[in-house]
Amino acid sequence: MDGRPSEPDGFRDFVEARSGTLLRSGWLLTGDWASAEDLVQTALAAAWPRWGTLTRQDAPELYVRKIMVNTFLRWRQRRWTGEIATARLPELQAYGDAFAQIDARQALLGALDRLPPRQRAVVVLRYFADQTEAQTAEAMGCSVGAVKAHASKALARLRETPGLAELMTGGVAS
Amino acid sequence: MNTEERQLAEMLHRITPEPPRRVTVEDIAYRVASEGNGRGRVPRQRRGSSFASGAFGGRRWAPALAALGVIVIAGGTAAVASVATSHSSHSPSANGTPTSSASVSSSASSPSPSGTVSSVPPGAKLTVAGGMWGAQLIDRQSFDQESLTSSGGSLFAFGNGTLNRIDPATGIVTCSTPYNAPVPGRPVVVGNTVWVVWSYGSGDIFLHGYDESTLDQVASVEVPAIGGTVSSAQGVLAAAPDGKLYVAAGREIAIVDPASRQVTRQIFLTAGQANSVAVAPDGKLLYIGISSADSFRLLIYDAGTGRLLNISAMQGGEGGNLIATSGGVWGTAGTGMSEWVWFAPGGDLTRSSRVTQGAGAGLASLPSVSGGAVWIGGSHELICASPATGKALARTTIPTDHGVVEYFGSVTVLDTGHAYALYSDEHAQLTGVAQLTPPAACSGSSGSSGS
Repeated sequence: MDGRPSEPDGFRDFVEARSGTLLRSGWLLTGDWASAEDLVQTALAAAWPRWGTLTRQDAPELYVRKIMVNTFLRWRQRRWTGEIATARLPELQAYGDAFAQIDARQALLGALDRLPPRQRAVVVLRYFADQTEAQTAEAMGCSVGAVKAHASKALARLRETPGLAELMTGGVAS
Repeated sequence: MNTEERQLAEMLHRITPEPPRRVTVEDIAYRVASEGNGRGRVPRQRRGSSFASGAFGGRRWAPALAALGVIVIAGGTAAVASVATSHSSHSPSANGTPTSSASVSSSASSPSPSGTVSSVPPGAKLTVAGGMWGAQLIDRQSFDQESLTSSGGSLFAFGNGTLNRIDPATGIVTCSTPYNAPVPGRPVVVGNTVWVVWSYGSGDIFLHGYDESTLDQVASVEVPAIGGTVSSAQGVLAAAPDGKLYVAAGREIAIVDPASRQVTRQIFLTAGQANSVAVAPDGKLLYIGISSADSFRLLIYDAGTGRLLNISAMQGGEGGNLIATSGGVWGTAGTGMSEWVWFAPGGDLTRSSRVTQGAGAGLASLPSVSGGAVWIGGSHELICASPATGKALARTTIPTDHGVVEYFGSVTVLDTGHAYALYSDEHAQLTGVAQLTPPAACSGSSGSSGS
């Protein structure tokens, strides 16, 4: 007996298969890997004790994403994250080298930082995690109409972000 | 998806980098084991973390990150690492001032061979914060800051995906139910039901009610959010003396009858979308906060007629977290490091005064009213104030443990007279519920409390 809680069936497979994508979602939400890791750990730890139920409902990833988003929103509402919004985004340079990739990431995070938390969450869930509007609404605890409204406003704001249009239409190869 | 949406999706997939490392099952297992039945939060030490704290790994409560040129602020739910401590406890002096700084520190106990740290024996009370206000930690759980409330003989707090009922005698979570708070705010207990905001969307709001003893769900109430909710919402649920629930729901205040579980009345707002609501202790006045980018307005309504009585405003951005007492209204203004607590006599913001500075370090410093006094915690001072006058009855500096943040917040008083607060010590990576013995001055206040 090593004191370690017994691992739910299928949990390891899920973590190994999905933690990379979940971490990338967390990075888009929080802007740094440490917070992303905390977010994913928080969600997976919450899912652990009810894993059996979640798998029976065939919805473990939806649940994990829901916890991630709600935790993220709570962090943003209740704590100051220390992020200083910048009025100017980094200049987008000609791409094709490693620095360009870093610039692109900074530009992306800068643009996401300018979104209110709920709009940012919708962007990540809808357009990165490929969740449907209904799934996004379920994860965020709001209506489909609200998701549509957040998405529309987020797109409008991203559209106005200098340099982001170039990233969306051309950009840099990963 | 239209073309623009597809382009956005493609860009996100293309630019978002691969993580430097994956989360492993061992990470999660460690966390689950450390938290105990899945409660609380203990982030596993990050491999390669450049800001690990001694043997205990990376800290969430890490102002040391300032050394990296970045101010990184603690989490809404504090990380917990139960550590073996050698703590010199001190009795508080007569006025509650600690006789020395807290000295929670890691003892010679080294991490176990497995790499995990030893834990304080469960059930043992640990004197913290130099014993100020007789502070003793009754558990090592971690909950969302400012989520603690009480009713009768029980404590309630939420965090890490669950709403919990806590035995104040032992600190043990006696029951819990899944819950993630969509907006900041404490549970509200009416009768035998614990009410929380379950979802707070733009189109609809759901309240859930749980049996006070078992936390079995007993009610769900849908509240329409007219005109959409606001992202600055904080403190959107309040209870009136008659037990009615008041919900800030966009451009209306919805009044819910807990008995029938129906919205029985709506007060429509013309001044904007409400982000906070409080009810006067006598139930006659309704206080509503409306926050914008550069100002905060406080509206006073006649709760009986729904008539607007007064509007006052203050400059300074976001506000909210309203509570009402016999002498006026309390709330917060600003965000983050600049957040502070104000008191407005009679609910008039033009006469408001600053009660305390914000907690800083990502911590909340919100007013709570319980046991006949108003309580304001944070990382600087622990204050009890008169609900009638707004004057501080006692204020004690919270010691810094080795120069880093200690924190008390969300003070609540049980019928037994014992006070409890959420506590965190960044240096010792210690969090939990602390039992307090406030100075006598705190119980001598006059005037009734409020919502």
